[in-house]
Amino acid sequence: MLIADCGSTWSKILDTGTGELEIVQTREMIRREGVFFEVATGHSAKNRCHVYRNELIALAEGSLALIPDDDFSIVDVGGRDVKFVRFAGRRVVKLDWNLACGSSTGATIELLGSYYDVEFDRLPSTDRWINVTCGVFGMEKVLEHVSTGTPPEEAVAMFLHGMVRNVFDFSGRPGRLYLSGGFCENDCFLQTMGKYCTVTPLGRTVPLEGLKR
Amino acid sequence: MQTNSSHTVIGYYGFPARKVLRAARERFGTDLPLVDLDVAAGAPDAGLLPPATCRIIANIVDNAVHLGSRLAAVVAAVGEDKCDRGRHAAWILRELGMNVIETRFAEEDFEDRPLIFSTGRGPLAARIDRIMATVVDPAPPDDPPEPCRPTHGFWGVPPNDVRILDLFPPTTHLYGWVRCVEAGRPSDLDLECSVDDGVPTVFFHQSFCAKQDLAHRLAEKHRGIAVDCHGEINDSIMAKVEAFIRLS
Repeated sequence: MLIADCGSTWSKILDTGTGELEIVQTREMIRREGVFFEVATGHSAKNRCHVYRNELIALAEGSLALIPDDDFSIVDVGGRDVKFVRFAGRRVVKLDWNLACGSSTGATIELLGSYYDVEFDRLPSTDRWINVTCGVFGMEKVLEHVSTGTPPEEAVAMFLHGMVRNVFDFSGRPGRLYLSGGFCENDCFLQTMGKYCTVTPLGRTVPLEGLKR
Repeated sequence: MQTNSSHTVIGYYGFPARKVLRAARERFGTDLPLVDLDVAAGAPDAGLLPPATCRIIANIVDNAVHLGSRLAAVVAAVGEDKCDRGRHAAWILRELGMNVIETRFAEEDFEDRPLIFSTGRGPLAARIDRIMATVVDPAPPDDPPEPCRPTHGFWGVPPNDVRILDLFPPTTHLYGWVRCVEAGRPSDLDLECSVDDGVPTVFFHQSFCAKQDLAHRLAEKHRGIAVDCHGEINDSIMAKVEAFIRLS
């Protein structure tokens, strides 16, 4: 059985029979002829599955499957949105979903990274930050910093730091935060978030775990 | 708008004091239909308000301008039972030459009507409609819903986009301003902020409405979620509410 989490940028497809996980760019997935999933979630999965699941529910149920704690907070930073759920006694006590702003999303940072050819694996974190109230204005500040002598890598790390602060605030500033999504593979993001709380990356398949339930 | 396109009507918004609404009908015609201007009715944008305006207030102005000369009068709630912007809307409509009758629902006019629809079982949108109809006709219903224990709560005003209400189970209790209307106490802040402990509640407010202050505070206090929406409900708002209802 194929289950999938099809975000706007990346699609995670799991064959539950073989356990094989495929991560492809969504623009490639949607070009595939006849692609159809048994159960799926994510913005790009609608009309491509028998059963569509709400993304927040998939994230919440996936986190319950993976995390043994009674009380915890999890945030999923996606390409175009951020989802957050807080549990107390393994019951949801708060949740939120920001879908309308690029100030905390992966697509913005991918744009910046590719523009300046930055490799996030090697990008050191920085204590300086840009106030990323708005993704577009934040990018303008990066351009301004670069034009006035800040190395592009430092300016991008500053933007990333501003974005981390937004995600931390959005999550209610917990002491410990479980992280889901592509930023689990971004060392600079993890190091920067580590300045604010204990961060535990869970990888990109938390919603898929929720779809299994 | 549910009116014959050529008929004169009386518009109103908010919860006008009953005696003021009654007097307006006696003055302009008891046979004239009453139209609730708060409700989205497909009127074109009158272009008189800035974009960052509560959608309900924009509905009032757009509906009134669209009805134009068909409006015999507008009975406008402008007191604490509505909001500053309701008062401003009345001023704008009067500026446009409309016959505006201001009303403030005084505390001495407070009623203590039973909360039949707020605490009954049934589809949420239909129960809110019945509550709002009591503004014009407060007669007890012939077919009251059976009371139920609340599994969920909806706090707030009637939303501009009522599709959000379809997400709630029939055992959802109503709180906030809607409950105040059913009780006949539209500016009773204590009643507006009363929520049953332990009932997972969605605290809804229109974007750019001052009730957001209450919604956010109450959501924190009662471990609910505050949800706002400007025009039409989008997928992420629907999904957030759906997830909260399912997981709480």
